[in-house]
Amino acid sequence: MIPAAWYAPLPSFLWQVALHSAIAGVVLYGWARRLRLRSGRSKRHLLALLLVLPLLTAAIPGRTSLEFRERRAWLDSGRLLAIPLVAGVRVSHVVLLVGLTMVALTLWQEVLPALRRSGARGDDAPEPLARLARGLPGWERCAVTLRRADALLLATGGWPWRPRVIVSRGALARLSDDELAMALRHEHAHWQQGRWARSHALFAVRLLQCYSPVALWTFREYCLEVEIECDAAAVAGRDARPLTRALLAVYESTDRRDVAARAALRRRADVLLGDDRLDDDALPVATIAAAAATLVAILPWLV
Amino acid sequence: MSPSRPLRGLAGFLLVAGGVLVALRVLHVGVPLIFPGTRPGPFSVASLEEARGRLGFAPLVPAYRPATLGAGPPSLTVTLGPHPTFLAVWRGAHSLSLTQRRGGPAPSHPPTSQALGGVADSRWWREGPANHLVLRRGEFWVTVVTDLPARDLRRIADTLGPYSAGGPGPARAGLRAPPSG
Repeated sequence: MIPAAWYAPLPSFLWQVALHSAIAGVVLYGWARRLRLRSGRSKRHLLALLLVLPLLTAAIPGRTSLEFRERRAWLDSGRLLAIPLVAGVRVSHVVLLVGLTMVALTLWQEVLPALRRSGARGDDAPEPLARLARGLPGWERCAVTLRRADALLLATGGWPWRPRVIVSRGALARLSDDELAMALRHEHAHWQQGRWARSHALFAVRLLQCYSPVALWTFREYCLEVEIECDAAAVAGRDARPLTRALLAVYESTDRRDVAARAALRRRADVLLGDDRLDDDALPVATIAAAAATLVAILPWLV
Repeated sequence: MSPSRPLRGLAGFLLVAGGVLVALRVLHVGVPLIFPGTRPGPFSVASLEEARGRLGFAPLVPAYRPATLGAGPPSLTVTLGPHPTFLAVWRGAHSLSLTQRRGGPAPSHPPTSQALGGVADSRWWREGPANHLVLRRGEFWVTVVTDLPARDLRRIADTLGPYSAGGPGPARAGLRAPPSG
């Protein structure tokens, strides 16, 4: 049997979130594959749904009793967790190990870099670059910081009332003026139409699920979709080639072992070059709402 | 799929969701068939020996059982999770249910409950025709619910003992021929 502590309120809730997230993830992934769903608004909605919904369905009370699990539930995950593997190890031990690994991964790959970024100091950027950034709507008070690094880096940070653009010396040296301008437009798009607030809200939701591999994957997919959306906003009505060249420059400067980052850059370039197109209206909002309602009705019966 | 249909694509979702649900149900039903130990119960067991085998501890049973609880053997139920629990119920002219749980929080009892005189770590109260008694015995919580008179509660508590297959334990004798009270 799995330890009784597993059924205490907090561990039980955390496990239910991960379980519902995994099951909803399988369903939505299977559906997206079936539809050959392209990047766009519909995909972003499904990913956001996958991050938020399990927190709601797992919080529905009265489902942890033995009576519910044995007689009413469609699936009692306790049976799967109790499957013996080798030398006294059960599936629940493996699940615990995966959860702890995900927490460590989140701290190492997301929280620490975010803290480092927010605390990093740099020099003032060249005046033309600062002028270019502050010329974008809403960025009149934007801080533009030059990082003493040879790596190709252009990113934003700060808060809506005081955005900050961070550019590395490597980016200034290797990107042309029009490539830099387009990269700035891309970063600026992150602060438009509520994207900053949505991304940060979902990051908070994802941190609550820092032990869940599905939440980790979902949030990274969501971030990639937002990057693709911001690419599209940056090149709207303009030549897409400077931004594509900037992306390829970043791609070439990225370590070959960082397969995930290179794959994401390749996908963004594919969309910009038209090899893979955006489809914001792949699914009607009513369909996504009906799918969400169906999941809300189903998931509480899986405990 | 026509772009004008407001719910276009939903059929595919329902198909995938239905497939996943069927697969999960197969796991729910199939896993205990292959790994019987994965099911927490409750299981109905035929004897105290079987209950002990499943629970990993000897069930506590009272030697004192009045004849009004009936001549037949009690119904025995075992639950393995989240806390291993043993339940024995006698039904005759009177009834007695005894629940023994290893670990976990104390069974709830009303603020009006009081210690049963001469019985350590006990809470006793009356609710309608039923007398309730909660006892702490080592790592176990024992709950007794019966419509026997209140004076019998103390006798039940005093004669509680672990079942033993070899020795002349109270439960062993009781299962075969309950002694009269």
